[in-house]
Amino acid sequence: MTHQPFEIQVIVAATIGGIVILNAAILWFMPRLTRPDLYFAVTVPPGFPDEPDGKSILRRYRQELLLVSLVALTVFVAGIALLGIGFGPAGPLIQTAAGFMAFYRARNRVLPHAVQPTMIREAELQPYARIIPGGWIAASGPFVLLALCAGYLWIHGSTPARGIIYSLTMTISLVGLTVLLYGLAHWVRPVYSGGPERARELQFRRTVAAVILGAEYYTTIQSSWLLLVPPHQGLISLGLFPFAPIFALVVILVLARLGQGGSGLASTRKSSMPSAPPVGDRTADRYWKLGVFYFNPDDSAIFVEKRFGLGYSLNFARPTTWGIMALLLIAPLVAVLGHVTQLLPKRV
Amino acid sequence: MLRIDLASRVPVYEQIANGLRAELVSGKFSPGEKLPTVRTLAINLGVHHNTVAEAYRQLANEGWLELKRHRGAIIRERDHPEAGPDAMERFTRPLRELVAKGLADGLSPSSLAREMIETARGLEERTAP
Repeated sequence: MTHQPFEIQVIVAATIGGIVILNAAILWFMPRLTRPDLYFAVTVPPGFPDEPDGKSILRRYRQELLLVSLVALTVFVAGIALLGIGFGPAGPLIQTAAGFMAFYRARNRVLPHAVQPTMIREAELQPYARIIPGGWIAASGPFVLLALCAGYLWIHGSTPARGIIYSLTMTISLVGLTVLLYGLAHWVRPVYSGGPERARELQFRRTVAAVILGAEYYTTIQSSWLLLVPPHQGLISLGLFPFAPIFALVVILVLARLGQGGSGLASTRKSSMPSAPPVGDRTADRYWKLGVFYFNPDDSAIFVEKRFGLGYSLNFARPTTWGIMALLLIAPLVAVLGHVTQLLPKRV
Repeated sequence: MLRIDLASRVPVYEQIANGLRAELVSGKFSPGEKLPTVRTLAINLGVHHNTVAEAYRQLANEGWLELKRHRGAIIRERDHPEAGPDAMERFTRPLRELVAKGLADGLSPSSLAREMIETARGLEERTAP
């Protein structure tokens, strides 16, 4: 196994440790960032989170979260000290799994308080709102960068195998992300169809689209950098990697300020009228498996707002969803296979 | 704005067709304009696309829409049809039910009559050439 220089090991360890702490902070605040009538992925009566029962559930969830995060951090530190930097990803993985368990337990405590959301649905009959910042010109930028990098490698011909794997992986990744971008513009079911709520929702969607677009540019630039700059050049060979946590932090802070679906932008986190059924996200709880997987064959939407988290989830009852999943999984698979086949000894 | 109630006993496709018909009668759309595609409207309402397709087919049969593959639903210039023998019966049956519901909810007969006259007058004004 190739040993990385010490300073790179320190950067990688600090980054992973930062991810664990950031993850804990996100999960800590998440129950208050969702739509006001949703609490731990359950539709609740207006004002329930501020009632004693709601507060008690939140307190218990946060205690469990704090405990699992400390365990994850301890395992992470002890693991890299004893087994090396390769053990690093275990920390965030443990935290994610245990954090989900804390969420799931809290959800079970909220379920007895669940109510049916409104069954009213509304739709605008006007054309699409513009969602992707810069339109399709901006969205085609990463493909141009990819073509330039592939062209450079082709002309110089120094690493043809790596060049082919890189181009293939990147093309599939970019196509996957572009499909997500297109989906965000055309396949999202809105919760509100008019008024200030609709405007805030559109602002949130545009921000998420900008994040995906940014991720496309970041991935393309970072991968090109890793390919074009020779390895083992110290910090310079890391490219934009050390900035990834900063980018992630900025994205999280911006989305957290907006709140799920832009609900945080309202002057008060107003829920539905006390006498009316809650709006929530206009989907019944029974369609949310484990509170995180949306499965509704009667809904044509591919993307719906997450109930616990910021952003969008997929409707797993639609065949298109599985196509998108396959597209997003093929790229890492091609990368791993390409890497492995390159490592195998060549036949004489 | 199209509004449906999934808890209603009226089938969803019928609610969509009724809502769209009301928009078309009110003159909000001109002939040649396009309605959202079946898939777009289904996504926005959170219903199955076959439900919206059924509503569009119903409106196409009534002469309101022209459905073209991959081009969506285009609003047609529609001649005022001659009222058939069943037309008044089809109108009064749901009207009687609606009036009964209004009375049961405590509305006065005079306020119901006033509302109906105003609604009809409003539609007449908007559709007048």
